[in-house]
Amino acid sequence: MADRIAITSLGIISALGRGKQANIDALTNKRSGLNHPVHLKTKHSNEFLLGEIDLSDDELATALNLPTGDNGYTRTTLIALLAMQELMSSIDMEWLQNDSFAFINANTVGGMCSVENMYLDFISENTRGEFIQYIDTLDCAESTLNICKYYDIKPFTATLSTACSSSANAIMLGARLIKQGVVTRAICGGCDALSRFTLNGFNSLKNVTKGLCKPFDEERMGLNLGEGAGYLLLEKESDAIARGATILGYLSGYSNTNDAHHPTAPPPGGEGALLTMNEALRTANLSSSDIGYVNAHGTATLNNDEAEGKALERLFEDKAPIFSSTKPYTGHTLAAAGAIEAIFSLCTLEQQKAWPNLNFEKQMHDINISPVTEVTDINVEHVLSNSFGFGGSNVSLVFSKA
Amino acid sequence: MMHPIYISATSIISPQQNFEYEDFLQDIKSSDDGTLFIIDPNYRDYINPVAIRRMSKMLKMGISTGMNCLQQAGITTPDAIITGTGRGSMVDMEQFLMDMIKLEEEALTPTAFIQSTYNSVNGWLALNTKCKGYNQTYVHRGTSFELALLDAQLLLNESNSYKNILVGCYDEITPDYIKVKSKIGYWKNPVPDSTLDLFKHNDTNGTIAGEGAAFFTITNNKEQTLCSINTIKMLQDANIDDVNNSINEALTANGMTLADVDVLLCGMNGDARQQPMYNAIIENTESNTSIAAFKHLCGEYDTSSGFATWIASNIFKHQSIPEILLQKKGEHSSVKNILLVNSYILNSTSIILYRSIS
Repeated sequence: MADRIAITSLGIISALGRGKQANIDALTNKRSGLNHPVHLKTKHSNEFLLGEIDLSDDELATALNLPTGDNGYTRTTLIALLAMQELMSSIDMEWLQNDSFAFINANTVGGMCSVENMYLDFISENTRGEFIQYIDTLDCAESTLNICKYYDIKPFTATLSTACSSSANAIMLGARLIKQGVVTRAICGGCDALSRFTLNGFNSLKNVTKGLCKPFDEERMGLNLGEGAGYLLLEKESDAIARGATILGYLSGYSNTNDAHHPTAPPPGGEGALLTMNEALRTANLSSSDIGYVNAHGTATLNNDEAEGKALERLFEDKAPIFSSTKPYTGHTLAAAGAIEAIFSLCTLEQQKAWPNLNFEKQMHDINISPVTEVTDINVEHVLSNSFGFGGSNVSLVFSKA
Repeated sequence: MMHPIYISATSIISPQQNFEYEDFLQDIKSSDDGTLFIIDPNYRDYINPVAIRRMSKMLKMGISTGMNCLQQAGITTPDAIITGTGRGSMVDMEQFLMDMIKLEEEALTPTAFIQSTYNSVNGWLALNTKCKGYNQTYVHRGTSFELALLDAQLLLNESNSYKNILVGCYDEITPDYIKVKSKIGYWKNPVPDSTLDLFKHNDTNGTIAGEGAAFFTITNNKEQTLCSINTIKMLQDANIDDVNNSINEALTANGMTLADVDVLLCGMNGDARQQPMYNAIIENTESNTSIAAFKHLCGEYDTSSGFATWIASNIFKHQSIPEILLQKKGEHSSVKNILLVNSYILNSTSIILYRSIS
């Protein structure tokens, strides 16, 4: 039997807090991280609720032993580093470098959170000033490369960007690189900081709710944006066992497919989501009845939840799945969402609990299934985690119990 | 080690006249302002006119090159679409950002925001070709295209269900981008009188700016293909020894030495800080190896390896090396092996080994 891909370390930061335990506590106590933003300086701060991390840039820097003020690190990179710090706390960097390893990062707008506040300086005639430290931070790879610089490492690096499925793609790529023998281990995940650019972008699409998001609710009015980072260490089961590592779970299936339907909307029948979930199950050698919980993409936009709801209904046929979206907790953390929700899925396997879909009240007319609304004890061996993005980029991951 | 992959068709939009042209770098364009912008083809042949009006240059060149490449390969729907872009659509990003600043976060329209999403070219290509298969976008500066190629190699090694994969890259430059990067010394100042003189100025820092799109259909069946890609390597912040070691690893893995390389394709960009690395590699070559360079034709940009891969494919196809590329003519007869060494600014270096299929 082929070697399974094990997850042996992880790190997370979200509006629910720093670290896995803080996130589990919030999930268990139904405590949402959505609030009016304090650190994001936007004209719309009284209008929207966001999943903002409760630390200023200076506080983030201090937690990382970095100088405060303009230090050249964007908020995107700072929150990524805090998640990495948790992942690295259980492993030794020198040991990690004994074998080949990859760092696969995902991101949607790079250092836009910093750049948007100094762009007029960027394009002015000024050639000096604090802004120069940030002048090469607009692209997605900036966080990837700055994380490597912070740790003084030169692994195989990649940054990918497929909108809201970005870090689910990073996890899938890491597993594929290990299976083909390109690298022995891979740290995979993603990060995104809140930016006015993204908030105004989604707002111009009329995709942002003025209240709290209500995934899979008939009266859902759009999403709340969030920020965060999540990273997972992947390696072959045999390598993990050989070094006596604690296995947190397995990545047993994955799939990447495309809607080929519309730049920003899925096909309403959910064909795209159904295809990617079926493919993920096929690669995992499982059927839908093996899945004990689905961590849905569930953005609470009109389009996503209709398509995903129908796809779930079609996939599970008569047997209603236990599913929920955890976005009412964290907000939609975009490129970080796939990794953060992968970690929530691993927590489900570890705790044998399904996380509630907060704010759900009214059954959708279009579908007959409804999400779980309380913390629910379940017997679960396999979890499906969905991430669907603009450009029709769909990814489903299957995680299995250690 | 993974099996090689094969290039079955190519398409390119670049600062040179080569989109839909059979001639291989004969009519050469240059500029006197240190920038090389693409020559726009008639995009209406590939994109419907309603969509074109709102599209940025990068979207237009990415989609047109991708669709043209598939046409040449005789493929309607590829099995997967994988691309790389260092910066994505700078035009759309700048537009939405400036609108947001000027309009103070009010009354914004979403088009530029949607198009600034890094995977927008991939989304359009999937839509146009009805490709529901694997779809991936790498945004990793100077090795974005290399990662896309490597991913195609992974896919073709994983499963026989993949036959034809569309792999491409695209990057655009804007006046603001050029201005912003001038503040951290990207460009030559003063600029060369002609971009074609780039290498005469390799004793000063900086380079010239460029842009372009290149697409390839990649397959695991070598019948009727232009060449194979055997090994792809990527390095960050590498020194000369790192690069030389990596070249040796790539060649050794394929049972070769540097003496087997007929053409060394160098991504030198005229920057004095980068030239010593290329000099050291060239010094190790024998008299049989031709030395070729290309950034005086396309400028420096994150995915210039796409332009280089198009050149390599065409050297095999035409079995000739255009005079304009040659820094030194080697004594080899036919061209069997081409080694690309390409650095982006001062950050990353990639190594790609291409081999003839005969």
